[in-house]
Amino acid sequence: MKAYRLHVQGIVQAVGFRPFVYRIAHEHGLRGYVKNLGDAGVEIVVEGPEGEIEAFIRDLHAKKPPLARIEKVERREIPPQGFDRFYIEKSSQGGKGGDSVIPPDIAICDDCLRELFNPTDKRYIYPFIVCTNCGPRFTIIEDLPYDRENTTMREFPMCDYCEGEYRDPLNRRYHAEPVCCPVCGPSYRLYTNDGREIIGDPLKKAAELIDKGYIVAVKGIGGIHLACDATNEEAVAELRRRTHRPQKPFAIMARDVETVEEFAFISPEELEELTSYRRPILTLRKREPFPLPENLAPGLHTVGVMLPYAGTHYILFHWSKSPVYVMTSANYPGMPMVKDNERAFEELRDVADYFLLHNRKILNRADDSVIRFVNGRRAVIRRSRGFVPLPIGIPFDYRGLAVGAELMNAFGVVKNGKVYPSQYIGNTSKVEVLEFMEGAIKHFQRLLRVKEFDLIVADLHPTYNTTKLAMELANEMNVELLQVQHHYAHIASVMAENGLDEVIGIAVDGVGYGTDGNTWGGEVIYLSYEDVERLAHIDYYPLPGGDLASYYPLRALMGILSKVYGVEELEGIIERCCPKAIESLRYGRVEFNVVLTQLAKEVNTSYASSTGRVLDAFSVLLNVAYRRHYEGEPAMKLESFAMRGKNDLKFEVPVDGELMHVEELFRDALEVLGRAPPADVAYSVHLALGRAFAEIAVEKAREFGVKNVGMSGGGAFNEPIVKTVRKIVEASGLKFYTTHEVPRGDNGINVGQAFLGGLYLEGYLSREDLML
Amino acid sequence: MKIKLEHGAGGEIMEELLREVILKSLTLKSAGGIGLDALDDGATIPFGDKHLVFTIDGHTVKPLFFPGGDIGRLAVSGTVNDLAVMGAKPLALANSMIIGEGFDGEDLKRILRSMDETAREVPVPIVTGDTKVVEDNIGMFVITAGIGIAERPITDSGAEVGDVVLVSGTIGDHGIALMSHREGIAFETELESDVAPIWEVVEAVAKAIGWENIHAMKDPTRGGLSNALNEMASKANVGILIRESDVPVRPEVRAASDMLGISPFDVANEGKVVMIVPREHAEEALEAMRGTGRGKNAAIIGEVIEKYPGRVLVETGIGGKRFLEPPAGDPVPRVC
Ligand SMILES: [Fe+3]
Ligand SMILES: [Mg+2]
Ligand SMILES: [Zn+2]
Ligand SMILES: [Zn+2]
Repeated sequence: MKAYRLHVQGIVQAVGFRPFVYRIAHEHGLRGYVKNLGDAGVEIVVEGPEGEIEAFIRDLHAKKPPLARIEKVERREIPPQGFDRFYIEKSSQGGKGGDSVIPPDIAICDDCLRELFNPTDKRYIYPFIVCTNCGPRFTIIEDLPYDRENTTMREFPMCDYCEGEYRDPLNRRYHAEPVCCPVCGPSYRLYTNDGREIIGDPLKKAAELIDKGYIVAVKGIGGIHLACDATNEEAVAELRRRTHRPQKPFAIMARDVETVEEFAFISPEELEELTSYRRPILTLRKREPFPLPENLAPGLHTVGVMLPYAGTHYILFHWSKSPVYVMTSANYPGMPMVKDNERAFEELRDVADYFLLHNRKILNRADDSVIRFVNGRRAVIRRSRGFVPLPIGIPFDYRGLAVGAELMNAFGVVKNGKVYPSQYIGNTSKVEVLEFMEGAIKHFQRLLRVKEFDLIVADLHPTYNTTKLAMELANEMNVELLQVQHHYAHIASVMAENGLDEVIGIAVDGVGYGTDGNTWGGEVIYLSYEDVERLAHIDYYPLPGGDLASYYPLRALMGILSKVYGVEELEGIIERCCPKAIESLRYGRVEFNVVLTQLAKEVNTSYASSTGRVLDAFSVLLNVAYRRHYEGEPAMKLESFAMRGKNDLKFEVPVDGELMHVEELFRDALEVLGRAPPADVAYSVHLALGRAFAEIAVEKAREFGVKNVGMSGGGAFNEPIVKTVRKIVEASGLKFYTTHEVPRGDNGINVGQAFLGGLYLEGYLSREDLML
Repeated sequence: MKIKLEHGAGGEIMEELLREVILKSLTLKSAGGIGLDALDDGATIPFGDKHLVFTIDGHTVKPLFFPGGDIGRLAVSGTVNDLAVMGAKPLALANSMIIGEGFDGEDLKRILRSMDETAREVPVPIVTGDTKVVEDNIGMFVITAGIGIAERPITDSGAEVGDVVLVSGTIGDHGIALMSHREGIAFETELESDVAPIWEVVEAVAKAIGWENIHAMKDPTRGGLSNALNEMASKANVGILIRESDVPVRPEVRAASDMLGISPFDVANEGKVVMIVPREHAEEALEAMRGTGRGKNAAIIGEVIEKYPGRVLVETGIGGKRFLEPPAGDPVPRVC
């Protein structure tokens, strides 16, 4: 007879872990109890024969529930206490600074799905059906421990039937906190956009309205979507008008995998991701001809697709004729997704015709995550629902807050050697988004039991709202503030995810504030525990009008060309190659002339080494896109266009010391333009950029004796560039790294910031290293 | 420390210079009323049951003649307006000119005529002066000081939650016109500076609603509307929310600033006043402004809020709200 106390940490709450322990304890004839410790994990006390206890511990690892993650089991022998049975003890409040986390939101499981469409089941077509293996978690949790009172389900007292299942340790719904049924749980209602309720089955009616071409706001798990029939071009066009999104690709939701296969290609890896419990949006390559309306993802070779993940979605498709819906976050550009019913009526009145809303509060907003496979491997564009709040390990142990950058923001909270990246926050230049972020930071602090920080890390950009927020927080909480350069952080995120201690990093990006005040984004960087150094970069080119050049990439084109050509020549080139670009400026020809003057006299002109703007400029030159309606648009369209190119025209980016002369790439392109197909030019531009970055990185790796080359930044989503770099790096016998878990764009920068924060706190790098 | 151009650019760096160097070096800074430490548009000196208001302004605009005005008109308006936004009726001006050797005498006469005309508009006499010639090729600097009398001085720090914010006309005219002219940027319509004395606008409002109901005033010169509102918000420790679409901007100024990538909110105005009044007097104040020659395009642009003390927010229609920051450097240097 032996007795042990086991302390299990990891994802062991809200995943059916305690009933599982209960079951295996019974199987091995052990006595004792299992208890939730809030954020500190789960405590198990077992008494019985030694051999059975050993078998029990083996099963604990081997047979654990699908969503559970065991990170640590501490075992201590204790005197036997003579328990008469094994039971599940009430939860304790936690607060011991443990490592236990709640799981992310999980797509509805197969068992629940079967019941959902079983006419004899109590929860037949009841959209809120859940069990311990599925359903909302992060989005409904207010505090730990994960008990019903700490979720938004507390407003729905269980009926006897549900409570019976909830209390039965052998039931699939044992302690499934959101368990409910049509008698006791939340319900949907359908409204017109002036708030009048429509009688009848709300989901069935909503499906019919969508089929008829209406736009319906659908409240789901992490927020509200705008849904319309994705096969109806006019409905999609109307949605574009109403949301002021002329070009941004709309995510679509398809009934099932077979439907997806009709309009897009899916690799086995993509299929696995698409059908995973995370159910992210995957940007898949369109079939040609694309059988769905072109205005779903204008000018792109990919389309963002997800599968149903909530009962609601399955039921809508069950009633609907259309197998594909547009399912885009309900918000105006740059604003947080609407998640509350009252706000929906206020903010979406002019957007949605009908509102399908339920009465369960969404506590934590979580947008759909977005994944793209680049060069055959997973790249996370937006890490949110289904991922959050899972952590990323870093080799530094401190309590910190990394606030991220500005666009595509997410922050990260650091604790016990891990960064917990937040859900997608968005464009923090908007006050509304910043307020969402402030609330979300507080929520993460509560969930993770981090009251105080040792360090707050922010971007170097002096006017980012996140930088200012970090300063305010640091002041209020009397915490040290560290600012780190944007691209150092991008590269650090590669080190964090891959556990590297040194790397030659290639940061291909849109914009980041450089240590010299210029706009960086085409950088080769050495980063290690010893030092950080900018080794090479795209030679600065002028951006007339500064930030305006991001929105009107003709300005970037003119800026770059002005390095090689005089004003008159420059004028002639634009008129010859892309005259329509001039009309695309808000004030047409007059503005074009103003830009020429700006260049000549350096009026409100900034200087950049951004790769993004270089790609944007080519997008204009090749008449692919003249405007940026959404982040990354011209470069993304250029990539899509380049996918049609076949021949490498062997362009070259001359490198002179640490300067990469991309302007010569334009000279190369202009020389062949007219003779070579523009798609070949676009293709060759990507290859030449990839080659240039890779060759410098390889050379520097040799020089520094480094074995690893890492790549990050928004450009690391670019298929031809990444492919080229990887090929060259690996052919040189070096290791190529990027990230597959941490977003490569600014959505993942918090992880790099957290890593740099660790390097700083442990004395490896100084404040000056990271900002000068 | 070496003085850099940024130290005079009206941004944070300049603020630091003022606070850390100038305010710290001087000790006698108040004559019993609002003194130097307030960094307001002018100082006040109690005088019987009234207050003398005293201010000074150096003008270094380049070029000296520009569409809509010249350094003479600017020098008179600048000082009259500093008095006006303190709630003071201008009594008299002093004029100091520093002239570079070789300066054209005809130009000097033109500038003086312009000063005279502008002073008559107010009207305010120029009662004393000083003239220096230097060998440096500076063209001409004009420094004007002014004295006025106020029944009840108005600071730039008196905004109260619930108040309403008005501007007396279109924003950004001076800065954008100057920049375009100077850099030879050709727009379809030539832009003109708004440089003018605005005492009549202030006086009209005071007559309509009473001095006691003007809670705060400022002339949005260097740093523009952005800077003026930020100072008013931070000095009163209140938030200010303005609606972008309600801020009057001339279409040609809007177009020019769109093309240059410079916000009209960030550049100097030389004939405008930003006024904060209680909500119940807002319409009356607006009427009064609009009844004057210089205030025809006056508008209510926003309100004073409790949230976000010290900060200015702009509501941009469907785009949500953003913070309006004071410009970091000087997007358009040498405009006043
Ligand atoms: Fe970035
Ligand atoms: Mg002044
Ligand atoms: Zn389930
Ligand atoms: Zn029930």
